[in-house]
Amino acid sequence: MSILAQNNFTLSSHHHVHTTSLPIVCARIHCLAATTKTKPSHDRRLIEPQFIPPSTPVIVTANRPSLNDPTLLSTWSHRAWVATGCTTVLVSLAKSIMGAASSHIWLEPTLVGLVGYALADLGSGVYHWGIDNYGSASTPGFGAQIEAFQGHHKWPWTITRRQFANNLHALARAVTFTVLPINLLCDDPVIHGFVGVCSGCIMFSQQFHAWAHGTKSRLPPLVVALQDLGLLVSRSQHAAHHRPPYNNNYCIVSGVWNEFLDKKNVFEALELILFFKLGVRPRSWDEPTSEWTEDTDTPSQIIAN
Amino acid sequence: MASLSLPNQYSLSSLLPTQARQHPFSRNRRVLSKLSQSQFYGVKLSNSISLPIPCSCSGKSVISAKVKKGSVPPSFALKDQDGKSVSLSKFKGKPVVVYFYPADETPGCTKQACAFRDSYEKFKKAGAQVIGISGDDPSSHKAFAKKYRLPFTLLSDEGNKVRKEWGVPADLFGTLPGRETYVLDKNGVVQLVYNNQFQPEKHIDETLKLLQSL
Repeated sequence: MSILAQNNFTLSSHHHVHTTSLPIVCARIHCLAATTKTKPSHDRRLIEPQFIPPSTPVIVTANRPSLNDPTLLSTWSHRAWVATGCTTVLVSLAKSIMGAASSHIWLEPTLVGLVGYALADLGSGVYHWGIDNYGSASTPGFGAQIEAFQGHHKWPWTITRRQFANNLHALARAVTFTVLPINLLCDDPVIHGFVGVCSGCIMFSQQFHAWAHGTKSRLPPLVVALQDLGLLVSRSQHAAHHRPPYNNNYCIVSGVWNEFLDKKNVFEALELILFFKLGVRPRSWDEPTSEWTEDTDTPSQIIAN
Repeated sequence: MASLSLPNQYSLSSLLPTQARQHPFSRNRRVLSKLSQSQFYGVKLSNSISLPIPCSCSGKSVISAKVKKGSVPPSFALKDQDGKSVSLSKFKGKPVVVYFYPADETPGCTKQACAFRDSYEKFKKAGAQVIGISGDDPSSHKAFAKKYRLPFTLLSDEGNKVRKEWGVPADLFGTLPGRETYVLDKNGVVQLVYNNQFQPEKHIDETLKLLQSL
């Protein structure tokens, strides 16, 4: 049985341990989106496990997650949060549609919905940039996420093995706490048009992210089509984010902002401002540490597949 | 009046809260916006201009800078990466490229320094010296020069005194030290002022182009 299975980690647990220890691995991948960069044919060339019978999940090193890692599975807590998140989003959208129908105003809710979709992409990029570049595992409130994002860069493939609710529950929880009060306090269809679409895109951004790490042959045709149309972040665009210098293509909803933000050096400008005003240096300015650099030693990742 | 060759590109400054809107010279808002645009994507000052105040402008297309083409910049004596005092007057008699950059070990400045390094033979062939100036101290310059094997002089303008005297404009409404390069001919007269914050390698292209024509 996987060593990692002996540890029961929840989303709320924070692990401030060195990256070589097991708890860190579980905490890191818990909030992660990861990817597999290997194709099925690559699996057949992998090295057999040396010490553990083939029927059990393999961990070559304590740090490397296995494909059957229980922390990739959804729990009932995860499912509950995703359910509440989806409910709040659907209620918001329903309020918008019903309000628009009764007031016969379709244009404004639709337009603000599109704005919400666009801003969700921008927001995902800004948040992603912040988490990727600043703070550490000990940062209050964000430490677990920061560690998880670093772990994602090290093992990007794990996101494609993470179950749906496991992948989305953190965002679903944030959406629940944000959208529920708006649902209770507001009935305006235009506001709900924006809130419903924006929050829905944010909540599902981790799924879009996971799909961006998928391979074309394994993704549903509809997803591939949406990626090709630029309505969901594309695999190639997001792959660029996982290559040195890891300082571009931060947006993960549709990716529509990526080209603009990168060409106009927006994040570089923000980094310089923060550097000169606060003295903080973003991680992307330095050579990536071992915790950041992708682990391309794939045998242990695929053996249990 | 200065004429500017401004690329027709979207301005980053329009995305950010602007101090210009609260600036007393509110009628210059459009000009300031254009100024920021040009500073990001490259501007060559080809003519002399009249106003002395950095980043405030009047008229259609004026950038103010204390040191401009045709002028003789104020001399300075700054410490190099070895702690030795270096004076600008030491370089009279040969062309010199003086480039002001924000800080050591930042991405743009590293790219720029390495680009100067990689083209250093061309600068030597043109008989020109290269001097980099930032507000970092000599020990920072020493480490920066060693790490990237920079063959030219880096000077410490601690307190940014020389930067202010030369009128190097800041970027993003004063939040970022500007990236500006001056080419002085052998008589110490400025022949080129080039400003570009986010395309640092272009400083090398522009200065080499000018040096080859001197």
